Amino acid sequence: MAERNKRKNLHPQEVSRLREEQVKVVTGCQDQIQHWKKVQSDYEALQQRLSTLPDKLSYDIMVPFGPLAFMPGKLVHTNEVTVLLGDNWFAKCSAKQASNLVEHRKKHVKTALDDLYKVMKDFEARVGFTEDLEKQSSEKGDFVDIIEEVENEEILTKGKQRTAHKPYSRPKNQDVFECGEGDPKATSRILSEEELWARLDELETQEELLDQKDLMSYSGDTNGDDTTSSSSEEEKEHPSGNLPCLHGEEDSRLITCQVNGNGQHHSDDEDDEGSCVPTIYFTHTVEPKRVRINTGKNTTLKFSERKEEAKRKRKNSNGNGHSVPGLTKIKTPADLYRLFVDVVNGELVPRKSILKSRSREDSMCSDTSESSDDRRGFCRNLSHDESTHSDTSEGVLQEDENSPSKPLPLPGVFEAFSGTVVEKDPTQPSFIPHLTIVSPALPTIPERKVEEVVPQVQKELCKKVSKFKAARMQQQI
Amino acid sequence: MADIIQKKLQTEVEKYQQIQKDLSKCMSARQKLEAQLTENNIVKEELDLLDSQNLVYKLIGPVLVKQDLEEAKGTVGKRLEYINGEIKRYETQMKEMEKRSERHREVLAGLQQEYQKSQGKVPVKV
Repeated sequence: MAERNKRKNLHPQEVSRLREEQVKVVTGCQDQIQHWKKVQSDYEALQQRLSTLPDKLSYDIMVPFGPLAFMPGKLVHTNEVTVLLGDNWFAKCSAKQASNLVEHRKKHVKTALDDLYKVMKDFEARVGFTEDLEKQSSEKGDFVDIIEEVENEEILTKGKQRTAHKPYSRPKNQDVFECGEGDPKATSRILSEEELWARLDELETQEELLDQKDLMSYSGDTNGDDTTSSSSEEEKEHPSGNLPCLHGEEDSRLITCQVNGNGQHHSDDEDDEGSCVPTIYFTHTVEPKRVRINTGKNTTLKFSERKEEAKRKRKNSNGNGHSVPGLTKIKTPADLYRLFVDVVNGELVPRKSILKSRSREDSMCSDTSESSDDRRGFCRNLSHDESTHSDTSEGVLQEDENSPSKPLPLPGVFEAFSGTVVEKDPTQPSFIPHLTIVSPALPTIPERKVEEVVPQVQKELCKKVSKFKAARMQQQI
Repeated sequence: MADIIQKKLQTEVEKYQQIQKDLSKCMSARQKLEAQLTENNIVKEELDLLDSQNLVYKLIGPVLVKQDLEEAKGTVGKRLEYINGEIKRYETQMKEMEKRSERHREVLAGLQQEYQKSQGKVPVKV
């Protein structure tokens, strides 16, 4: 409103100034017109005189002598007129010729006058306009200015103003920095853009090497190692241009990693997939959980879903009031199971899976039995309705893939598995499906999954007789 | 530092003012020539209206000197051409001066900015 008033205040000043200038021009024109009109009248009088002059041979006149005196005299040679042509040129001509010359001059005067009239008219019109403008700007006039104030211009535009993409532009680093600021670890590693890219490439090659290695031999890494490596990777990834979402993901990823270690097939890859730019996925999970989504296809969970699952899992765990404060520190996947437990009959029982038995096979929480499964939340997300579980066959297939995984001695860390079941058969690191999930930008780290799967496998092997697996086997058969 | 800039600024300003004066002189000269041009045009036309019987005089000082009509016409024509040439010359001169003044203006602006920067720095330093 103040601006509006300011505008109005400026207007009268400017308008009045404009009007003044225009009026000046008009008055100047008028003066000139007056002058030329006089000249014209003089010429007409002269013409008159010239016409009557040759009537008589001589005239008796009072001849002026100086400014105050006159002398009686005669005017002779009335037909001979000396005309000043201009520029010190004179011509002696008769009266008629002189009047012709005068006529000729009058033409010039007339054109000058016409021009002046035109200019005056033009400027008079302009003055009128400025006067109207003045009236409008002031509130006294009859005119009212209807102005609509646009408070927020963004409302008009549907989207943000788009700026053209520069070719070969890299992903914005500002996101990186945001991430870095949030993560204390990352801040310590703020690298230049080029360094980050180089680091990224390094890590990619490392992953590829590791993949090859894992393919060769399944090393019995503990989940802890995986988690640590994953977490370290996370850290590395942060400065390498992960989006801020990664930062948020970190927690979920950590949790998921551990959960994966437990046998949950939460793949960090999938988390990484969700993150925009090529990041590392350090997937601890061996295989991507084949989540049966409504589509019924062998689709994998999207990143967001995983995240939601993780979140929900955490929420659930918290909601149940089971978030043991002392045990909130999750170091191994087994810790997760400790966290997400229900108290049934005074006993701590792992969470019950919300999925139906059949569906379990597909989801990560492949709890065929109704024993709790931490992944229940995930399973939920994964398979929304029973129809999705119709693809259990696929899950079965996956199981088959997983089954050939080599049995490895389970570390004692995975005690939590005693009751719970790790669904996804970690027996076989399903590289292929995992790869599909992984974002195309970077190669996955299948080996990690393998590693994670392996411990799971080991666990399973050690407890070969887990009822869940047995049930699964049955179904497979 | 600021003093040096100030001196530079002053010299530049003076140069600029000089150029502006020259420009205005050129302008006025050109206007005079234009007036003469119109006048001579009228003379030419009026001479055409006359016939040979008329006597043409040229005012040289206090004396009216008789001139031939044809001679007068020729003289006036030449004068017209001369005036036209002068006007053209003045025009080119004015253009040249305008360019120079523009350059000087830019230099002045740059110097002013420098001066302001130095002014801004100095109080901070102090």
